[in-house]
Amino acid sequence: MKKIVSVCLVLCLFAVLFAGCNSGEGNKAGGTLNLYTWAEMFDPDVLAAFEKETGITVNYTNFDYDETMLARLEAAEGGDYDLIIADDYIIETVIAEGLARKLDKSKIPNFGNINPIYQGQFYDPTDEYTVPYGAGVQTIVYNPAKISVDVKGYSDLWNEAFKDDLAIIANYRVIVGMAEKVLGYSYNTNDLSQIEAAGEKLYELAPNIRLIKDDNVQDDLVSGEVDAAVMYTSQVTMAKLANPDLKIVYPEEGIGFGIMGMFVPSKAPNADAAYAFIEYILRPEVSKACFEYLGYYCTNKAADDLISEEFKEFLVLPTSFKAEDMEMIGNISPEAAEKQDAIWTKFKDLCE
Amino acid sequence: MKNKMNRLKRREHGANAVLLSPMYLFTIVFLIGPFVYMIVLSFLTRAETWGVVNEFTFRNYLKILEPTYLNTFWESIKLALLVTALVILIGYPFGYYMAKLSPKNRGVMLMLVTIPFWTSSLMRLYGWIIIFRANGLLDKLLMGIKLTGEPLKLLYTYPAVVVGMVYGLLPFMILSVYSSVEKMDWTLVEAARDLGAGPVKAFFTVTLKCTMPGLMTGVILTFVPSMALFFIADILGGNKIPLIGNVIQDQLMKVHDWPFAAALSVILMLMTTLMIFLYRKVTGSSDTEGII
Amino acid sequence: MKRKPVFSTVYLIVGVILMYLPIVIVMIYSFNESKISSVWDGLSLKWYRELFRDRVFGDALVNSLVLGGLSSLAAAVIGTLGAIGTARSSFRGKGVMAYIATLPMLTPEIILGMIFLTFFSLLGLPFGMTTLVLSHTAFCIPYVFMQVRARLSGMDPSYEEAARDLGAGRIRSFFDITLPLILPGIVSGMLLSFAMSMDDVIISVFVTGVSVNTLPVVIYTQLKTGVTPKVNALCTLMFLATLIIVLLSAFLGRIGNSKKKSD
Repeated sequence: MKKIVSVCLVLCLFAVLFAGCNSGEGNKAGGTLNLYTWAEMFDPDVLAAFEKETGITVNYTNFDYDETMLARLEAAEGGDYDLIIADDYIIETVIAEGLARKLDKSKIPNFGNINPIYQGQFYDPTDEYTVPYGAGVQTIVYNPAKISVDVKGYSDLWNEAFKDDLAIIANYRVIVGMAEKVLGYSYNTNDLSQIEAAGEKLYELAPNIRLIKDDNVQDDLVSGEVDAAVMYTSQVTMAKLANPDLKIVYPEEGIGFGIMGMFVPSKAPNADAAYAFIEYILRPEVSKACFEYLGYYCTNKAADDLISEEFKEFLVLPTSFKAEDMEMIGNISPEAAEKQDAIWTKFKDLCE
Repeated sequence: MKNKMNRLKRREHGANAVLLSPMYLFTIVFLIGPFVYMIVLSFLTRAETWGVVNEFTFRNYLKILEPTYLNTFWESIKLALLVTALVILIGYPFGYYMAKLSPKNRGVMLMLVTIPFWTSSLMRLYGWIIIFRANGLLDKLLMGIKLTGEPLKLLYTYPAVVVGMVYGLLPFMILSVYSSVEKMDWTLVEAARDLGAGPVKAFFTVTLKCTMPGLMTGVILTFVPSMALFFIADILGGNKIPLIGNVIQDQLMKVHDWPFAAALSVILMLMTTLMIFLYRKVTGSSDTEGII
Repeated sequence: MKRKPVFSTVYLIVGVILMYLPIVIVMIYSFNESKISSVWDGLSLKWYRELFRDRVFGDALVNSLVLGGLSSLAAAVIGTLGAIGTARSSFRGKGVMAYIATLPMLTPEIILGMIFLTFFSLLGLPFGMTTLVLSHTAFCIPYVFMQVRARLSGMDPSYEEAARDLGAGRIRSFFDITLPLILPGIVSGMLLSFAMSMDDVIISVFVTGVSVNTLPVVIYTQLKTGVTPKVNALCTLMFLATLIIVLLSAFLGRIGNSKKKSD
């Protein structure tokens, strides 16, 4: 028993020693950039190069959900962090609560590099607060060797050929939205009878669902656990790289997409470091490295031509896409959200 | 004389109060506040897109009565009971045998049992995914010994979830049973055997009774988390079993309805308390007094 | 009379093998070249190189060890004293207090995270290691408390009384008699606490501060971009490190013991 106690003590001692070394590092000259976003959003080499060039230390911490970020940012009253990257819909709330600051564009000469198709969206209509960093499109991917149906859009997923063979994203707005699209409604409808109808439609899909999840769906598709999936762009990229035979379908009912945006909190302790970082990321060659690492659609028009052939298909938006075919998922009324959630919970139960 | 005894007793009580003070202080300063906030929150109204409005309502509790949400409670209880039963069946003998090892081996086993749980649970679940995958290890093994002719789509099914949860919660039972078997007075068992009880009877009349506190602790430590655990069901079950933990998560993180999430948590808390209380009543054990 | 306990030995060995099976598999897959965990592309150290290229993980590991160490220690002290006090004193309300102390166990983590966040910001505490340790201590106390409580119940109070009769002071009798008896409970409670703390992400992500990222937080927040086999490599290294420390201490302990014997 003493052994075990001594092990614990040794471990704690190690930990405290390490902590001592660690806290010494924190404050270097050149200031610190407190970057707050999901993990793995940047190639470590890009961050290291930025630090080397500017002398700014990047302090990279993570959140799991956009909502956690907003709760933390509220608790910090718009302070603590210098630069945050999060999803479009939450940025709308962040701006409405006055937790983001207007960008000083004179400090971001590369602002013009942004692809205008991603600008002027609902969450920041005049582009005063945000710089897009990657966009995702909800895509159907399937294995033509196993599925004989010629898939054109979401409505084909109801086909019996997909029985217990389909993976979908674990986001109720995307999935209820899928049924809404099949019925010809908007993703953002607040009409409860339309949502109800979409729910009834969605319940019919249940026998086809094998799997509902957000992360690493490409593993299941490549291993043959499922033969078709509705998934996010970065996963499509990985799946296609592992198995080039997979077929990608942009649903004919309309293309749902999302944007991740960078913003500077209202009381950011070191906003200048944030501007320096945004400016750095918007350089075409840096953007190229970032998006090839990240696997989301490139939001920097100046970088599009630099993207290597291997990735071009996934990172550069097809030219056939027109702005009017694309719809973003925005915030809906509380009643609509509650209705959708009830549908989602019941739907999951039917899938079992 | 009597006076002196009383005074001594009072002093004793004073000393015990000192022992209790850190826990009481911590509880009062850091726990009562948040929990009062949670209960208050469960009676408030949600705001338009984010946050809460200070308007009193019972709506959140009434909403729980909708069949969709009642069903998630039922699913959670079913799964938790199944998992707890399996954990007892597997974990009790394990802890029991472990305690009967030589002291040296006991220490080694104790470490062996805990080390896996110092690594990320996500990683352990990924291990199970690899095992259960179509044409994965288990499929190959079963097909190799001709038990099955084709891949059994085991991943993303109910049994996969049960395996994952039992695996994750087993050490709680093992450690609890172990520590109460280890301190057991074996002369009692010998006495029962001397009085003519068979090994089975001796086990049920003496051993089981003596180790009840450990078993109870183990049951609580497995049953309670399995009511609220959801990510195992997400990862190994393909997110298809609507558990109460998922609903609370969705309410907070997707629907932004904090008061409803708080109300669900309050009910979950009361329900778990009630079930433990009933269990204690039924088994007649008073050893967990002070826990619930 | 005494026969070799074959069945129990087999049972224990099979149990341990099953416990380590998923971990061993992940360790094997950490040497997989492919980014897709379901495809075996041949042996490679690629993910270890990627891991060392990324300094985020090192910092996070240190933070997690500090956090786990501090909070399991704090929980051990508070929980043990609480369990002893509860077992011995008889004043009213102790049941209620013990119930409140176990509430963190009965509450879904995500709600705990949120109410702690609100409460700490109400108190004006600086978010970071302090708030992390406080919240982790809160959910670790029940584990220690319950383990020690189970150990204490049924313990014969006459041992300690005897010691006191023989003239040992309160403190002396505690350290000589009570502590050794409840030590296994404290240790298993601490081991569980450390494991829980090392694995918590849902609460941590709410109450952490600008400069403190813990390991599970780094691992789980890859959801958006896809969990890479880097995590497998990291867990393999952590696992091996733990194993080495344990074996080393067992070895040192053995040397110490044999020395004592020879003296």
